[in-house]
Amino acid sequence: MGNMADRMGHIKPPRALLVKFPRGSMLGEPGNAKRQRRIIMDALEALATMTEPGTIRELPYRWKKPDSE
Amino acid sequence: MSINLEKFKAVYGKWVEENLQDFQAGKIEDAVKKYPFVVSEDVPWVPFKGQPSEKTIALVTSGGLYLKDSQPAFEAESIHGDPSFREIPRTVHPEDLGIAHPHFDHSLAEQDVNTIFPIQRLVELEKEGIVGRVADTHYSFSYVNDVARLLTESVPKVIDRLQSERVDILFLVPV
Repeated sequence: MGNMADRMGHIKPPRALLVKFPRGSMLGEPGNAKRQRRIIMDALEALATMTEPGTIRELPYRWKKPDSE
Repeated sequence: MSINLEKFKAVYGKWVEENLQDFQAGKIEDAVKKYPFVVSEDVPWVPFKGQPSEKTIALVTSGGLYLKDSQPAFEAESIHGDPSFREIPRTVHPEDLGIAHPHFDHSLAEQDVNTIFPIQRLVELEKEGIVGRVADTHYSFSYVNDVARLLTESVPKVIDRLQSERVDILFLVPV
């Protein structure tokens, strides 16, 4: 995962999640265990759903904005 | 992953020479703007088969985490960064972790280390049976500019250890 699409484009990870969170807090706000869990679940899902090498999926989550159910 | 290290070494040496003064003066952003990022020539790929509930997962963070009581901190001054790594056990308590990485704001991770190293969430998912097993050992790096040393010295060791522990899934969390 990462928050800088251009850097991820250089590194070319096999499967990647792109977040819009600040440097130093890739899984969202401190203490937001629900969001951390959701991002890990997104990563696990990507293992099965990303079939094209180099796919980067942008996640919709925003800082301090609750995730939709 | 295919990276031309000889090509990198040549441009990296020049970058160090030209930017050392700025780096040492704390003008990190100026130096980073000129940094010769390596570009992988291909995308590594192994198809995923099976279910996460049958697999072993490990974390890699670049957050500069280390065990305060038993491991040295990462080098924090050199323009080359520190290509070494620290092994972090799955049983670690957040209060046992220090952060040695001079180029990001530690305040969020200090409040909750799961923001850069979500070990507690993984253990919860293991208990629920969503992931099969959380590896006993996880890995932390810090900032590294000397990618040649990283790729020739540290990465092969980490890969050996991951393979010894039969890790199937590696989740990379940068800072």
